[in-house]
Amino acid sequence: MNQDLLILALLAGAANWLFRALPVLLRTDRLAMGGWLERFLSATGPAAIGTLFVAAILPALTPDLLRLAPTVLGAAAVLLAWLATRSVVLATLAGAVAHGGLVWLLA
Amino acid sequence: MTRTAPTFLAGLGASLPIVMGYVPIAFSFGVAASRAGFSTLEAFALSLIIYAGASQFLALALLASGAPVLVSAFTLIAMNLRHVLYGPALLREAGPEAATRHAWAWAFGLTDEVFGQALGALARGQRFSEPYMFGLGLGAYAAWVGGTVAGAVAGGSALEGWPALSAGLGFMLPALFLALLLSILSRRQVPVVTVAGGVTVVATLTLGATSGILLGMLAGALTGLLRR
Repeated sequence: MNQDLLILALLAGAANWLFRALPVLLRTDRLAMGGWLERFLSATGPAAIGTLFVAAILPALTPDLLRLAPTVLGAAAVLLAWLATRSVVLATLAGAVAHGGLVWLLA
Repeated sequence: MTRTAPTFLAGLGASLPIVMGYVPIAFSFGVAASRAGFSTLEAFALSLIIYAGASQFLALALLASGAPVLVSAFTLIAMNLRHVLYGPALLREAGPEAATRHAWAWAFGLTDEVFGQALGALARGQRFSEPYMFGLGLGAYAAWVGGTVAGAVAGGSALEGWPALSAGLGFMLPALFLALLLSILSRRQVPVVTVAGGVTVVATLTLGATSGILLGMLAGALTGLLRR
């Protein structure tokens, strides 16, 4: 095993554990009831999910309509499946199938 | 009315869309690791210990380029700083009575997608429970580590003969984030999500992807301060 790799993994992994677990263990949310921090935290979730969606879709955006089409169709399929079923699982699957299906048809 | 607490198995079931999203990405990480000259054991160790997608790909590049270990570690740590906000945001939605006795174990699994799925479930009225968090987190973790090993063992060009399958699998994460976004979206959240998305686009194009994610999230959360 590459020693640099192990040290790097252990440092990054330990930091990840601290970032993810420590705020939960310290119950930092309880310090925040009713104040500005509570408003900040309650907006964090939607802000994070919105950000991650934009970051995930951004590399797929292109002015080439033919290459853009699977992404547009996939996103539309997610939206329609969500409206029809209100299921995150089915909406995700519908999006992936529509996207992959159009890529296959266009190939 | 008392809602029953969701079980470990319910959490495992809810991890399914994450599993389907993680396996192909982890697989491609395993392939990239083997291409960069790392062994299956080393790829496995990176996924098992770091467990954060984008920063693992960066770790490969940094290790292969021979960058100093401490500088590399600092870069990876800065990339994952956003995770600090996930636990408190989740517990705020779960309520002050939510149990966190075993959080030292399940909270390591609070990745972007696990956080999103757990938050979405709470927004739909589900109760918070630690067994559910264990099930959700374990399904995702197993998929990540298993996918990495499969990719490292397969090596080379395993998916190259299947472009449509590869494209569909590649769209799994954007689709998951969009579905999660729809599941938590309310009129109250529209300004937060709009600002977060707009800042992400501008910051990604000007400063790069990691800054884009961090600044987008921060701008959206700060927008939340302005509302009453």
